[in-house]
Parts: sequence; structure tokens; C-alpha cells
Amino acid sequence: MKTIIKSLIIAGLATATYAKSPASAPAENLINAQRVSNINIANISPNDSIWRSAKTASVILYPQTTIKLNDAKANAANKDNKAKVAKVSAVYNNSAIAFKITWKDDTQSVQNGYKSDVYPDGFAMQVPVSFNDPKKLPYIGMGSEGRPVLVHLTKAVSLHYEPNGNGDIEHQINPHNTNAFGSDLKNYDDKVNKLGKQTYSRAFISEGFRSMTEIKDGSDTFGMKMVYDAKNKTWTGVVAKKLRDGEADLSKYGAIPVSFAIWDGDKLNRGGVKRLSSWVAVKLQGKAGGDALVKELTSKPKGDAKAGQAQVEAMCASCHTLSAAKQATSAYMAPNLNNIGGYSTNAYLAESIKDPEAVVVPGYNRNAHKSLAWYNLDAKTGKRTTIMPPMMSDDKSINDAVAYLKTLKAEVEK
Amino acid sequence: MSKRQLAMVMDLNKCIGCQTCTVACKTQWTNRNGREYMYWNNVETYPGEGYPKKWMDLGGGFDAAGDLKEGVIPNIEADYGVPWDFSYDELATFNFREHNPVAAFHADSTPTWGPNWDEDEGAGNFPSDNYFFYLPRICNHCTNPGCLSACPRDAIFKRDQDGVVLVDLDRCQGYRYCIAGCPYKKIYFNPKISKSEKCILCFPRIEQGLPPACAQQCVGRIRFVGFLDDEEGQVHKLVHKYKVALPLRSDYGTQPNIYYIPPTEAPAKFDAEGKIIEGSQRVPMKELETLFGKSVNDAIKTLKAEKDKRTKTGESELMDMLIAYHHQDMFRLDANYYQDIAKAKNNTNPLAPIDNRYAKGKFTKEINFKANA
Repeated sequence: MKTIIKSLIIAGLATATYAKSPASAPAENLINAQRVSNINIANISPNDSIWRSAKTASVILYPQTTIKLNDAKANAANKDNKAKVAKVSAVYNNSAIAFKITWKDDTQSVQNGYKSDVYPDGFAMQVPVSFNDPKKLPYIGMGSEGRPVLVHLTKAVSLHYEPNGNGDIEHQINPHNTNAFGSDLKNYDDKVNKLGKQTYSRAFISEGFRSMTEIKDGSDTFGMKMVYDAKNKTWTGVVAKKLRDGEADLSKYGAIPVSFAIWDGDKLNRGGVKRLSSWVAVKLQGKAGGDALVKELTSKPKGDAKAGQAQVEAMCASCHTLSAAKQATSAYMAPNLNNIGGYSTNAYLAESIKDPEAVVVPGYNRNAHKSLAWYNLDAKTGKRTTIMPPMMSDDKSINDAVAYLKTLKAEVEK
Repeated sequence: MSKRQLAMVMDLNKCIGCQTCTVACKTQWTNRNGREYMYWNNVETYPGEGYPKKWMDLGGGFDAAGDLKEGVIPNIEADYGVPWDFSYDELATFNFREHNPVAAFHADSTPTWGPNWDEDEGAGNFPSDNYFFYLPRICNHCTNPGCLSACPRDAIFKRDQDGVVLVDLDRCQGYRYCIAGCPYKKIYFNPKISKSEKCILCFPRIEQGLPPACAQQCVGRIRFVGFLDDEEGQVHKLVHKYKVALPLRSDYGTQPNIYYIPPTEAPAKFDAEGKIIEGSQRVPMKELETLFGKSVNDAIKTLKAEKDKRTKTGESELMDMLIAYHHQDMFRLDANYYQDIAKAKNNTNPLAPIDNRYAKGKFTKEINFKANA
């Protein structure tokens, strides 16, 4: 009882702090995480009482168009994707942080049964492993070399198995190859079913898409769940993780960057065909620090977008596609920028213009488009170096270019 | 490019479509654990829709510029065919005296397509000019694999030691872009584990010096297995010395490593009165050119010339090879090759002597290849 009262008081205090902030509308790209007493990481649920005190913020998720994948049907279905708004709230305590994300999806897609071309809805949350400089956050596409991220992902997959997951060889044979009939066969099938896993929640560490590797040693403590509301046609997902675990220590920060991705199974979304947000600042209410990060992620670009447009079209458009009207010579030469304003930070754009070497987007498999290198690769070390020269060096030009690039994004779905 | 490449040659003149290879593969690998619908080895009738249905029209592979093309992922019911069960339990309790026995034995789903749905149909009019032949297909273990290039997770790799293309199940997340990328549609989605799987060229057998199960069991002895650089091997001789073994649909740009001896021995056509039209060709050369490229003309010329030579002189190395006298000549595998690699690495694991990436994740290395002249 004592704890409940305590948590109520703290929640009340936190609300008061939030109400003090000057603007009446909450800043864009900012989630205020309320302090709560207890977060049940393993069994986190959208119905937990911890969400009662939480404030909701809007996060916009833009279609991933940096690279184009090779599924003809998926490409056709996602050709004119718009951005989606998700409602996100966050809570934290000394040892854990949790997010609740709600987004609209007219169809509930579950990967279930014996199908080859059915895809599940899903969502993921990404945090950097470390981020001392808010201007040098990891690349939004699952991190970059030297700037790793942790990704937590869950998908609406009803039942799946891990090959040799339990080393149980005797239940890996076809029921017809057993000598069982009737009730014996039923018992056998039941045993096989027990080997299946009901949740498809996974943790990954990654230094850029393609390198994402599942954390299987249990060093990342997290929990996820997603629930479909058929009446309102929305998914609500929750994810909770320890602030400090094997890979990352987020407990020392007053604000942390986080980003989200959602998949629409009905539109054959999976892998790179998805919507993702930019880095969003999560301010841990009542905890000191993190102001620089919040400022960085919520500030508007300073430059003149119109002047930037002229520069970018002149200097960048032959390699980078900017929009449907401004196509690069080849789609496979460099990242497509037509949603870059949606999922990139100002600092990332400025850094990439000035120092393209800082983040080299992993691009396509080296064998998929051989005539266009995208980046240089040291065959021995596997290190990627960019083929893009530094484009601008004066701050005015860079700010203008960033201001323009920030306008390159799909419109938001009504 | 891998340092060495294992390859297979299949003699289409001798394939009788008995599906022993299919069954050998199925019982070895694909009769369980979500692989039930997969045929890592299948034998289809050509001309025909194939397996999966109309696979040649489903995209994937590379265009002339070397760019990976978009592809389509087949549907399990409509394009592959779901393996149905019969009502065995009902049979045990069925009262045959009272009911029609036919009713008791039925499938548990209504299939609309399956492998060999159009078996032996072929094309043309019987008996004047109808024709077909069997086309056994496994993964081509391509030098420039479409599946590998399509994977955004670098989950597919090609072994340096023998060029076998494998899925690293640890890295695979079941996105299925590989299926769109493979023009032969020889990589499949396993819905039970939610990952992709494919023919592994029976690498655990090969590492012990045994040929893949499909080749070992082939009753027509149509399959030769060996390293392409082994000049004493029959695979090398058929592909490079006599140039009678040709890759399937090399226009897809993946540089496949399964080679076919084209069918040469079809009967002539008949005229309206049922008489033989001398010198006529029942299997249209245009069809063979589509499958095996223009060089199929030279290959057939060589095959016919060697056949004549053998008839007249009793001697022809090529014909002797195609008669397939001894398995030990047809399968030039070398267990010591793999064991020596294992020894050099101080690896004593008998189940993974040369490479444990099948279980452990690594990045895909760049593959360098030279396009065919």
C-alpha cells in the first residue's frame, strides 16, 4: 500500500513538472517519461496500472525508402505509402524503462499456419548503446559502425519453432514417420506443439542494417507484447527493458534517444519494408541531465530551405533521389533521400554533408548491384569507406541544405 | 567466387521421371519440421508449368547490367501445392459393408496445384508431333546467387571450399527476399521456424566423400558429381572438354553450377498418314535454346557425332562416360580434401569439419566473378 501511495505522489509531482513547461502544446519529437515504482519487465502489458499516469506524445513514422528491396508485390503495395502517427507514452524507474505505442492499422495480420506469403504486423524499439554526443547519434537504420544500437522487436507470429532449439531430435520427425496411431499420435503431436514458441520477441545488437545480430545469451533483459483492438482498428505495443544490462547502460542519462518502427503485414511489410521514426528524445521526468539531447532533437533547422533546395538539387541529385520528380541516375548508387527529412536528425544530415565518412550507410549486398559500388570496401577488414566526397564546409550552406532535406518526407496519413 | 566449385551434371536423355531422387531427398531432408511442402529436388515435365507453378515467370536473377531483378514469392496453396493427408483414422473405423468405401478415403483439403500436376502432358499433338522430357531440378549453387544477393541480413553464404550455398539459420529472419531473388525458386520459406531453407547439396555427405542422396539413388545413373576444376573428373570433361553439359537458363545471370546434357534422342515426327518424317525434330530447338542457350546446338552436334563415332569405331570417351559404368568414376568426391582442411584448422568437429557458419553468423563476403564471354 505504501508503495502505491508513493508512486501516486511521484506521478503527481512529475505531472506538475510537465505542466510547468512553457508551451501549451508538447514539443515535437519529445516524450516525457513519468517515474513509476514498479515495472514488470517480463510481463509488461498495455493494461498495467503504470500507464495511468503516463503522458502521450505523437511520434511520426515514415516509410523506409533509403534502399529498395526486391519483392515486386511488396514494392507495388507500398509505392505510395504515407507517414503514420503513433501515440507513444513512456514510464521509467531506477532500473527499467517502458514504452507504450499505439498506431492505426485497419487489418490485423498474424503470421499463422502453413503459409509462404503471409506477413505479420509488428513493431520495434531502438536505443543507442551509448550516446555521449547528441550530435553523433547512431545511424537511424539500425546503427552504424562504431555507433551500435539495441533493437527490440516483436511480431504477430502465432507459433514458431527454433531449429534444434532444445536439441530435441526425437520430436523433429514427421508424425507419419513415427509408429504412432490414435491417442499415441495425439500425444506425439502435443509434445511437438509444446516445443513451439508463442511470442516472437527478440533483442538484437547492430552496427547498421545487415549486421543486426540476435542477442541469444540472455544478457539483454526485456519484455514485449502487442495487442490488437479490433473495434478501433489499432495495435498497442508495449516494450520494457532494463536500463542497465550486458550491452548498454542507459541509467546514467536524464534523457535518452529512442526510435520506433512498425510493420504492416497486410502490405507485405517485413525487413526493410516498414515505417520508422527519427530519433525521439525521451526526457526522464525528475531526473537531471539530458537537456542538450532534448534541445538537439526538438530544435527546428536553422537554415533557409529555399536556398538549400537550389544547392542540394545542384550538388546531390545526380546520385541521390530526392523525390519522385528528382530521380538519381540510378536507384542503386546512393541512399534515396525522399523520406530523409522524416527519419533523420538535423545533426545527422549536417554531419553527413560535411563528413560523409562518419556514417556509411550499409547499402545493398555487394553482389546485388555490381556496377554501382555505393561504398568502397576493404576486403580484408570488411571496413566500408564512402565514395561521397565532403560536399560543403561552410555552416550557412550546410544549414540551408539541412533545412531543405528536412522537408523531404511523405505526408502524414489522415 | 569460391575457391573451388562442386558441380553436378544431369543427362536428360536418361531421366525417366521416376522421382527416386525426389524421394531420396525428401526422406533425407524435407519430410518434417515445416519442410513438408518443399522439394529441394523435384523432377518436372518440360514443357509444363513446373514447380512452383510457372517458376520461370516469377522474376529474380539479374538483368544485363548485373542488377538484381524484382521477383514474386509463390503462394503455398496456389503455386507449390500443400501436401494433403488422407483420412487414415477414418479408414480404421469405417464400416465398409454399409457405406461406399470411396467416401472413407479422402484428402483433408481440396488441392488445386501440386508438383507434377501436369506430369507427362507436354506439348504438341499425339501422335504426330507431341513431345516432352523430364527436367530434374535442385538448387544450382550459383556462382552469383540471386538469393544471397537479395538477403538484407547477409544470412546466405557461399562456401569457399566447394561453393555450396547455404542459409545461416542463426541470421535468417524469414524476410523471404531470397525467394524473390532466386530465379529458379529453389529457396523456400519454412513457416514452422519462420526462416528460409534450401538444398544443401547434402554437404554432410559430401564432406564424408559421399555424393548427394539424389545422385546416389538415381536409378538411371544420370547424375555426375565432382569439382569443376578436377580435370580428371567426368564433370569437368562433360562441361569443359566436350562442352555438352550446359547450365539451365544462364540468361538469369546467376551462373548456375548444375549442368544438363540436352535431350537429343526424341523420335521423329509423323505425317498425316502416320509415316515418319525423316530428319524431323520433335523437340523444337527453339525451346532448347531458351533453356540452355545457343550453345545447345553445338552440344547436340557433338553428342550425335560422338554417338556415330562410337557406332562406327566402337570408341568414344564421351559415350563411355554417358553410359555411366561405375559410380566411382561418376562421383569424384574427396573426403580427404575436407578432412585436410579440418586438420589444418585443428578442427576435430566431425559434423562441421570445414565451416560452422551453418550454425553461427558471419557477414557475407563479396563474391567476384567473371561474366561468361
